[in-house]
Amino acid sequence: MSLHIRLHALENAKNTLLAQPIATLLTVLALAVVLALPVGLFTALANLQQLLARWHDQAQISLYLRDDASPQAIAKLRMQLEQSPGVVAVHFVDKQKALADFQHYAGMMAAIHTLGTNPLPASLIVVLNPLAQSSRELDRQVQQWSHEAIVQSAQSDLKWVARLQAIVALGTRAVYLLGALLAIGAVLVMGNTIRLHIEQRRDEIEISALVGATRTFIRRPFLYQGLIQGLLAGALAWIIVAISFGLLQGPVNHLASLYGTTFPLQGLHVEDGILLILISALLGWLGSRLAVGRYLNNTFS
Amino acid sequence: MIEFINVHKHYPGRRHVLRELNLRLEKGEMVLITGPSGAGKSTLLKLLTRLEAVSSGTLLVGGVDLTRLRRSQIPAHRRRVGVVFQDHKLLLDRNVYDNVALTLQVAGFSARQLDNRVRAALDKVGLSEHWREFPETLSGGEQQRVGIARAIVHTPEILLADEPTGNLDPALSTEILDMFRDFYRHGTTVLVATHDQQQVERLQVRTLHLDQGSLRESS
Ligand SMILES: Nc1ncnc2c1ncn2[C@@H]1O[C@H](COP(=O)(O)OP(=O)(O)OP(=O)(O)O)[C@@H](O)[C@H]1O
Ligand SMILES: [Mg+2]
Repeated sequence: MSLHIRLHALENAKNTLLAQPIATLLTVLALAVVLALPVGLFTALANLQQLLARWHDQAQISLYLRDDASPQAIAKLRMQLEQSPGVVAVHFVDKQKALADFQHYAGMMAAIHTLGTNPLPASLIVVLNPLAQSSRELDRQVQQWSHEAIVQSAQSDLKWVARLQAIVALGTRAVYLLGALLAIGAVLVMGNTIRLHIEQRRDEIEISALVGATRTFIRRPFLYQGLIQGLLAGALAWIIVAISFGLLQGPVNHLASLYGTTFPLQGLHVEDGILLILISALLGWLGSRLAVGRYLNNTFS
Repeated sequence: MIEFINVHKHYPGRRHVLRELNLRLEKGEMVLITGPSGAGKSTLLKLLTRLEAVSSGTLLVGGVDLTRLRRSQIPAHRRRVGVVFQDHKLLLDRNVYDNVALTLQVAGFSARQLDNRVRAALDKVGLSEHWREFPETLSGGEQQRVGIARAIVHTPEILLADEPTGNLDPALSTEILDMFRDFYRHGTTVLVATHDQQQVERLQVRTLHLDQGSLRESS
């Protein structure tokens, strides 16, 4: 099929859209809002995960070492730990430091002094990114570490990691579900818009068919209309999300400062933005395709 | 060129509109079809453009059996035929030029490729001056000439017209039908349904009378 036929259909689609600028604008806006909602939530979720990943000082595992562990063996284990997935840092706490910490927190100097020796073990503190792996994998890893020869025992409280991950999974599922529903909504909005365009152009369709237009030929300008409006809606949705995040950054900065930190919000990544536009264009095309297909099947049986 | 063999046609839930119709049109022939209202003249023409399907029998057009045409083959068939309608069926939001160009656009011609042909067609129907105008600013006769230009711009082998002069006064009817006779003299097969007895007598071409679903040759 030669290029000029497509260009002609494109021109036709463009003219139709520009002939009714308000209607076109409203359709694009409606689609953009429908798409901006799940995309905004998706982006918010990504930010939340970013934030949670920073709570690694909460996700620590203490590996208490045997007193007879050689410095070489400790160094080797430490290196091995540092290379494990999801491990952010590994700190070594020797017996002296453990004692000092203990005294500092517990104030039980007298009791310790009566023992005469330092009963506290040296330890390796493993700092984790709680979202880097599933809580089950994490459990398995901790099990494995606790069976290392120089490790006497391991202490961890990772229940909250499991809970956190469950919440994030729930949120992700909810956003995808909402996204799917709203995508169907977008297709319906587009389908209905194109249906109205078809109604307005019944004569043109009928006469074109009479002089020998194929279904493909008749369908094409409408598909392009859907595609163009979808593209525009996707771009607009991206802008809406970007503006929304811009407006949220101020309050987020304030909140972060109350916790003595900063948290720059991440907008939609460029790849995700382009994906959004492509999906939106596809949805527009699909809605249009359904509407025209239905019409042509009813008209040309 | 056109051959009806034992063609029956009935609309769903109705008695036969066309019964055991046999008709043969040679290439380059011109035939008028007359008959009372409801006789089935429009139906007969609709079978030829495959707007309606034959109920039984065989219908051959230029060697193609229309009863065996698949849906996807209908457009190509229609592009071999030119059709003129009583109500012109022009697109009111396109000017004369674009209305005529439509036939070529759907056939895949580019704007450059179709220009000469559109001008030539407008020239043939005497509307060269009016190419920019919109249908509603034209008289009935002029509108019909646009319809004719659209039907012949792709130089079809067959030209069909369903009461092309139905809404026109006698002088304009003469003008329009003379145009059809001209195309016929240049080799196009022409089939025209008409009520207009005066024109039938004037034209002196083969005429068929359709009544109660059966065809009869007039003298
Ligand atoms: N789509 C249709 N569905 C059902 N019946 C139809 C349909 N089209 C035509 N008919 C019937 O078929 C018969 C023939 O109609 P047709 O339009 O072919 O007649 P005609 O000879 O063209 O009449 P006229 O001179 O009034 O135009 C009529 O009785 C009409 O009511
Ligand atoms: Mg009729």
